[in-house]
Amino acid sequence: MLLQLAWATLTRHRSRTLLAILGVAVSAAMLLDMVMLSTGMRVSLRNLLLSRGFQLRLAPKGTLPFDTDATIPDASTVIRVLRTIPDVTTISPVLGGQLHITVGGRTITATALGVDPSVQGDFEIAQGRIPAAPNELVASDDFLRASGAKLGDTLSAAAGYDPQLRSFTGRRALVLVGRAHFFYMPAEQRAVALPITTLQQMRGTDARDRASLFMIRARDGADVEAVLHRIQTALPTVTAVSTETALRQVDERLSYFRQLAFILGAVSLAVGFLLVTTLVTVSVNERLGEIVVMRAIGVARSRVVLQIVIEGVAIMFVGALAGLLLGLATARYLNSILAAFPGLPAAIDFFLFEPRDAWGALGLLTVAGILAGIYPSWRGASLPIAITLREEAVG
Amino acid sequence: MLAALLLAAFTQTIDSIPVRPPPRTVAIDERLAADARIKIGDRLVVTATPGGIGDTVVVGAIVRRRADPSEVARADYRVIMHLDELQSIVGYGDRVDRFAVATRGAAATDSAIRHINDAAFGFQAYRSREIAVETSRTFLVVSRFHRAIGVITIVASAIFLLCIMLLKVDERRRDVAALRLLGISARSIVRSVMVEAALVAVFGSGVGVALGWVAAQLVNWHYRGVYRTPLAFALITPSIVVLAVTLSLVLGLAAGLLAAQRLVRMPALELLTGRREERRGENALSS
Amino acid sequence: MSDAEALLIAQDLRREYHMGDDLVRAVRGVSLRVNRGDYVAIVGPSGCGKSTLLNLVGGIDHPSAGSVTIDGARIDQMSDADATRFRLRHIGFVFQRFYLMPALTAIENVELPMAEARLPRNHRVRRARELLAYVGLGDRHDHRPAQLSGGEQQRVAIARALANKPQLLVADEPTGELDAKTGTEMIELIAQVNHDGTTIIVVTHDEDLARAARRVVHMRDGVIVDDRRQDPP
Repeated sequence: MLLQLAWATLTRHRSRTLLAILGVAVSAAMLLDMVMLSTGMRVSLRNLLLSRGFQLRLAPKGTLPFDTDATIPDASTVIRVLRTIPDVTTISPVLGGQLHITVGGRTITATALGVDPSVQGDFEIAQGRIPAAPNELVASDDFLRASGAKLGDTLSAAAGYDPQLRSFTGRRALVLVGRAHFFYMPAEQRAVALPITTLQQMRGTDARDRASLFMIRARDGADVEAVLHRIQTALPTVTAVSTETALRQVDERLSYFRQLAFILGAVSLAVGFLLVTTLVTVSVNERLGEIVVMRAIGVARSRVVLQIVIEGVAIMFVGALAGLLLGLATARYLNSILAAFPGLPAAIDFFLFEPRDAWGALGLLTVAGILAGIYPSWRGASLPIAITLREEAVG
Repeated sequence: MLAALLLAAFTQTIDSIPVRPPPRTVAIDERLAADARIKIGDRLVVTATPGGIGDTVVVGAIVRRRADPSEVARADYRVIMHLDELQSIVGYGDRVDRFAVATRGAAATDSAIRHINDAAFGFQAYRSREIAVETSRTFLVVSRFHRAIGVITIVASAIFLLCIMLLKVDERRRDVAALRLLGISARSIVRSVMVEAALVAVFGSGVGVALGWVAAQLVNWHYRGVYRTPLAFALITPSIVVLAVTLSLVLGLAAGLLAAQRLVRMPALELLTGRREERRGENALSS
Repeated sequence: MSDAEALLIAQDLRREYHMGDDLVRAVRGVSLRVNRGDYVAIVGPSGCGKSTLLNLVGGIDHPSAGSVTIDGARIDQMSDADATRFRLRHIGFVFQRFYLMPALTAIENVELPMAEARLPRNHRVRRARELLAYVGLGDRHDHRPAQLSGGEQQRVAIARALANKPQLLVADEPTGELDAKTGTEMIELIAQVNHDGTTIIVVTHDEDLARAARRVVHMRDGVIVDDRRQDPP
């Protein structure tokens, strides 16, 4: 009966109810977006970092992977030391750099990754095959689009430019053997990958036996933090980061968005709360006569409160559901804006829909709806019956 | 390269390292000074790699970072030192990453760019503005994001305002009925309701601006503390105040007009008792 | 008159309240006994305290002093929750302005007190139909209050008041908002309700309604000045 009465009251003022639902929906959408923003980056980055099964990364001392141009010297020694550490199963060295690749008379500069093809975890082949031979490379879609190169083409690539001689250095003829999707590259990045030894040779003395990064896979079930500690002890001149540490550091870098999400989320919740409080207050004031009569005919105060709270919760709940759809749409739009964030892998989503978080946000709104309804309805239900009836009759 | 040095910078007290006179001066940023408790005049050893051989330097200045939005979330420290000393420490030889060139004016800039690029030393000359645009991409993305959030917030505020104003005017139904019974014209009533709505909107937006100002102070205080930057994160500008007041005024008047016209169209007696209105208007805005 | 016969015993009831700086003594020491099955009309000029007295005996207002006993229970000493439960089971209310729930249909309005008393749905629907038929609205179940005339609304209000088979029905100016013809019909209906066993106390300015009662209590300035039995027409 209470539900019936709440439903009847809400449908009696359809325009008002619709407007309130719309208001709550926008607040809910904003809240959902902010919840998605606060966890999205972290979750999608974690998924990205763990997608290839590498739990640890070694970078030059004091840096994050590929945060600077710095490299780790004596890569072969590092690999040797790492192999002595128990639980380390796979070591994938990566050297970063730039290649100037001439195709049809045009020179295109691409970000180059030197990898060990047998254990690499930076890309997956979409077409063709892994660059197994020293004179082979694979390229990203963006590179292929920009250069017009096709699989099987032999490309002239250089790793540097000598301003004195006004010529490219470290030239090499490389055969394009595959089209690859690079996991950690920003969107629209022209990227190529080739065997690390080839890139080291092309870059010359600068990069001899050097690597920008080592990705390390530990045995399944191994204590990753313990492995990390052993690596740090064995190799004090490099920075070893676990996925957790990397996430923490990226979190720090992008903490602005988390904080913004928190503030805007709180504001959205407050606006939704205020809207429902206002509506319930007005609704209660309008219906004081009805409320005190319900009390007079023997309806318990708590039941009167419950009936009014149900109205508030219904508005919040329906608004929150509408907000869920609206929030997903706006999150898509906002994500497309932030996808242009420089230097971030294209695979990172700022707004990630996590059902648990979404339900959490909706739950929070529903709780806000309950709280928003409680005070005005309790106040209405606690009015002295006789006096209120007299005032209503006069009023 | 500079960043590599900075991130690898290793400081330690002078006691354990032999001093090679005369020490050069460096400037360090406020964060480093605060975190490492370094004062002007302190001697430091700067090396390119941890534990490597480096130079002893004297802190000659502590500098505050520019309010640069693109660097706001970077937690690394910054040391400014003499060029030749840096080149020597990192083994960079007689090389630099870039030159900054001052010219006598816009025309001179064009000509300088042309000359430098024609010389084709392997250098490329850019205008400072172009560099700034490139380096502030982060800021541009954040700005676009803020604008989008702003639009959503405005939509939410508009709905909220519309809702409140409609309810507010609707509360006056009995007063309106009494005025109608006294013979006051519908036009006068609509006008009076709209004046009231406008006053509420203006007063409300005034309070909103004050609240916004307080919120902006809190946000700035919070973020400046978190990021240790003089950057202003939230600013209440005159254009924002004008937008807020105009928006609430327009919405207030629109809602007032809508609700007032609905009220005056109803016969006064029915408005007073509410009976007929309820019978007629299952989907009325309110009763 | 023995206590066993008395359904309601009010003793030395007083009700004072502040209106601004003034102390209003609405009821100044009223004692009243109402027997089971009785039909009492309380009459008097406006402001004499009759509605306040009705509120006190109906348990929706607390006396400043004195006591109210209904069916042996001291309702003036009950907590708010207990008084609410008591009203639900033992007292039916009818108001001048009907006060039906505008969002509910006629039958739903009648069901409301039964739903609150946790009666099973089929049971309460059956009884609500019977009550609406009893008050002459057998064909208006699904109409909302706004779709009913004043007289029809008051009939629904009476059906609602009788929903939980109360021993006492209190009515405050039940014909106050009705035209003469409808008022007469209402008077007949209330008399019928009394005839069928419900004790009734009405407060009214309506002489016809007062004439229909078995007993008329006159009040002035917060006290009973006359209390006499009469033969109903």
